[in-house]
Amino acid sequence: MSPRAQGKSGAEARSASVRPALSREFIAVHKKRRIMDAIAELTAEQGYDATKIGDIVRRAGVARKTLYDNFEGKEEVFLATFDAAVDEALQRIEADCAAVEGDWEERVQAGLAAFLACVAEKPALARMCMIEALSATQAATERYEAAMQRFVDLAKRTVPQDDQLPETIEETLVGGVAWIVYQQIRRKEAEKAEDLLPELSEFMLAPFHGAAEAQKRANA
Amino acid sequence: MERLPRGRHGLPREFIAQNQRERLLAALAECLEEKGYDRTTVSAIGKRAGVSKSDFYKQFESKDACFVAAYDDAVERIRVVVLAACTERKDWANGVLAALAALLDLFAAETAQTQLVLVEGLRAGRGVYDRYQVALQSFVPYLTDGAPTQASGSRPPQAIDEAVVGGIASLLARRVLAGATQTMPGLLPEIAEFALTPYLGTAEARRIISGR
Repeated sequence: MSPRAQGKSGAEARSASVRPALSREFIAVHKKRRIMDAIAELTAEQGYDATKIGDIVRRAGVARKTLYDNFEGKEEVFLATFDAAVDEALQRIEADCAAVEGDWEERVQAGLAAFLACVAEKPALARMCMIEALSATQAATERYEAAMQRFVDLAKRTVPQDDQLPETIEETLVGGVAWIVYQQIRRKEAEKAEDLLPELSEFMLAPFHGAAEAQKRANA
Repeated sequence: MERLPRGRHGLPREFIAQNQRERLLAALAECLEEKGYDRTTVSAIGKRAGVSKSDFYKQFESKDACFVAAYDDAVERIRVVVLAACTERKDWANGVLAALAALLDLFAAETAQTQLVLVEGLRAGRGVYDRYQVALQSFVPYLTDGAPTQASGSRPPQAIDEAVVGGIASLLARRVLAGATQTMPGLLPEIAEFALTPYLGTAEARRIISGR
């Protein structure tokens, strides 16, 4: 029965009708989230090609229509999930780097730790983004490439700029970290990704320390 | 690769089969470079190689099987070049430097093969991405065998060896995607510094690279 039918005033009717609208929005967001979680789990389990719309809606517990109300189809679900994961990871890394009051080495370590925590907390999503995205569709591989560039840019903003170092140093470092984490995920040990922190920190810091040391020796 | 003459030519059956196989492998790499894995079909490979669909299936049971054969074949050709360069040099650092130089020259000269190995290996999907991982891992010992220990007497952890090789592969794959495969030899000093520094320190790595 509508509020108006109960004889309420116009203002009361509006405020009463606001609440169900909000909760509908909440449910819609929640359902969208479930669809995105479902595609991450399913692609991690069986790959992109084998994952069908029917699998996604069943896993998410939503109607097929709900999926199509929110997304054009499977590829759009995949890309939206990928983009959201990359945005979330980058925001978390930036925030954790910014929270460090110490020197750049500590910021690099905090950023790496935040990245590894993302992988460890959501292994299926990590697998989807770092392994399955490479072979899913042309658009997905382009997103992967663009995401790599965002991580490279973030690394450049975090490490000291030394024009004696190779111009490509951040690209090789980010690529090397990605490769080690890729293998960790393939070994089904994503949950333990944070164990990699000491070695990956050494890997990322060494070129800058080495360059500074070489410079010091050259000046002496 | 040249097609054999049509009609009766008295060439042995095995020779023809081998020739067809090689043409198909080369055609696959060229198709991938042009249109990527998904849009590369068995008929497109056959057409480019001048081999009928039924002859394709005498050689390979599927596109994936042809891909794996082409992949392995390309990796072995790269391995021969890298090993030859490594063994020509007496000391470790100059061996690594020579191997990297040979590798970048080969990549720049054979762009289709380079894309196959560096890009398509990860993109082709679940049936074949083990190939990329195994291949990349198999190159790690060429970097680390004979590497000096650090001043502290310890070797860098194994993850660093793998990260060096993976980082180089990632950089080069991004150059392929940017259409810059032919410029790879120009990256030699940068890549060599990245590869040698964990083992020698920056100053020594730069000394060796500038002496080349």
